[in-house]
Amino acid sequence: MRQDATTRAINVLAVVVVAIWLIPVVWVALTSIKPTKVINAAEPTFYSFVPTDEHYIEIFDRFLFHRAMINSLVTVGVSTFIVMLLALPAAYAVARMGLAGGDTWALVILSLRFMPGVVVVLPYFKMANGFGLIDSQLALIVVYTAFGLPFAVWLLRGFLLDLPKEVEEAGRLDGLSWTGIIFRLILPMARPGIAVTAIFTFVFSWNEYLFALFLTYDKATTMPVALQKTIDLYNVLWGSLSAGAVIQLLPMILVVFLLQRHIARGLALGAVK
Amino acid sequence: MTTTSGEARLPTSAAGPAAPSKGPRAGAVARERRRNAYILLAPCVVVLIVLAIYPMFFSGVLSFRVDPLYNPNVARFIGWRNYDDLFHDFRFWQSIRLTVLWALIVVTIQMVLGFFLAILLDRKMRGAGLLRSLIIIPVFISPIAMGLTWRFIFEPVAGLANWIVSKGLGLEKYSWLSHKDTALSTLMIVDCWQWTPFVALILLAGMQSISTEITEAARLDRIRGTAYYTRIVIPLIRPVILVVLLLRLVDSIRIFDLNFIMTKGGPGSSTLMASVYDYTIFEQGHLGLMAAYGFLILILINIVVAIFLNTLYRAEKAARLADAKN
Repeated sequence: MRQDATTRAINVLAVVVVAIWLIPVVWVALTSIKPTKVINAAEPTFYSFVPTDEHYIEIFDRFLFHRAMINSLVTVGVSTFIVMLLALPAAYAVARMGLAGGDTWALVILSLRFMPGVVVVLPYFKMANGFGLIDSQLALIVVYTAFGLPFAVWLLRGFLLDLPKEVEEAGRLDGLSWTGIIFRLILPMARPGIAVTAIFTFVFSWNEYLFALFLTYDKATTMPVALQKTIDLYNVLWGSLSAGAVIQLLPMILVVFLLQRHIARGLALGAVK
Repeated sequence: MTTTSGEARLPTSAAGPAAPSKGPRAGAVARERRRNAYILLAPCVVVLIVLAIYPMFFSGVLSFRVDPLYNPNVARFIGWRNYDDLFHDFRFWQSIRLTVLWALIVVTIQMVLGFFLAILLDRKMRGAGLLRSLIIIPVFISPIAMGLTWRFIFEPVAGLANWIVSKGLGLEKYSWLSHKDTALSTLMIVDCWQWTPFVALILLAGMQSISTEITEAARLDRIRGTAYYTRIVIPLIRPVILVVLLLRLVDSIRIFDLNFIMTKGGPGSSTLMASVYDYTIFEQGHLGLMAAYGFLILILINIVVAIFLNTLYRAEKAARLADAKN
């Protein structure tokens, strides 16, 4: 029975560790609904305050956060879609078509993920400038496509390699053409992998800051850049900042709960294969 | 082995090219399939060449030019001078040293803590899935939102961290981010908070892919506790460990967002890491110099990746091959 007591103790420890780990997230949520006076008080409090929506109103009224939300949704949504459109066939070719040097292709593509943003941000800036695309959604869509693609190919490759290798054989015996095999067998089977890859691509661009900072300043700013506008040199509007942060992270939390199981497995798969 | 089926590879098999074809018919099929493969791969590769490799090349050319942002008319080729300037700039060396130090420390902490966190979460209790969902939340929050929130937490007057420290430990309230000796460690805390769960969950996925036969055999052999993890788990999930390590190393060297939003390199240059320093060069308008430094960061990362792939990954593949043969 001692074993049981230890197990229970470890279980409790796990819960406690996770709870402590999440304090900052809870804190930002609380700050977003606290009156400004309470926020700036020397005694922080978790519960003794009257909730307010003033910061949510302010972030929309004063910082026009809805524009940033729309910009984020459009640029990130469109670029994620394009990335998936390009990455799926590429990953399939690399993973399952016996391409000579398939692993090398995958490695070269993955290596582009390691490119530091500061290396290419300047060319992007100059190119966007040349085409008159500074502060446009299009510029960000293009850049996010380029930056999401390598990791997407690599993740999808892991998922596709994980499918049983008899799939194509079975499809061929059933008289399916190679496109038929891809659309009727592979795509449905790889659905969790496709979802996870799309999520990762989406999250990367959703949180991206450097390119947005260089390529937009007003009309096309995305949420991370808009958030930063709540701070100036002498004053930080912690309440508005927290409200914006909560708005930005809510969809991410939703995603995590829907796909947690597949997310970790997907990354591990890419690693092992 | 015929070449009719796609070659899905098991982790134990060597990753080789397509098997040699037998006979003219099989050859034709293989050729057609290879052609299809290139057709599928082509759009992705073209996009990457235009949008990733070309800009990189562009940046390389720019690094040999003087190109002031605010005075484009004097832009011209100047050879290696940008690089030469950087090599003679002590702040450049300082930022490189700081970046390498940063990467080594945070990645070590994240790998160790992440491993323990993974063990902690590797249990069959009710609500374990919920815990895993909750713990990965930090990974998905933007470094900007979280960096700013942490700035509030470390704020000298109303910050939560100071409140805990002063109430719990009886210490003076302290301005964590505006002192040279604590700014870097404060950044490290935030980075580890954000990325340890990432490491943990991937390691956890690796741990859970270990077959029950193996865990059962280990149990029968009375291998448990520390021995179970050092002798069974770590060797089995080594590929996963290596990939997480590589991803974290590279991302730590590239760090920009958190560094930029929390300290902008300050106070003084106590947290001035490579990417942020590169950004300050841009702010001063020296585009050529910025490109040169960017390229040096790229080279630094490539050195790390190359060392990594050559030593660890090769050894890994060799070990796997040996396993497969036995």
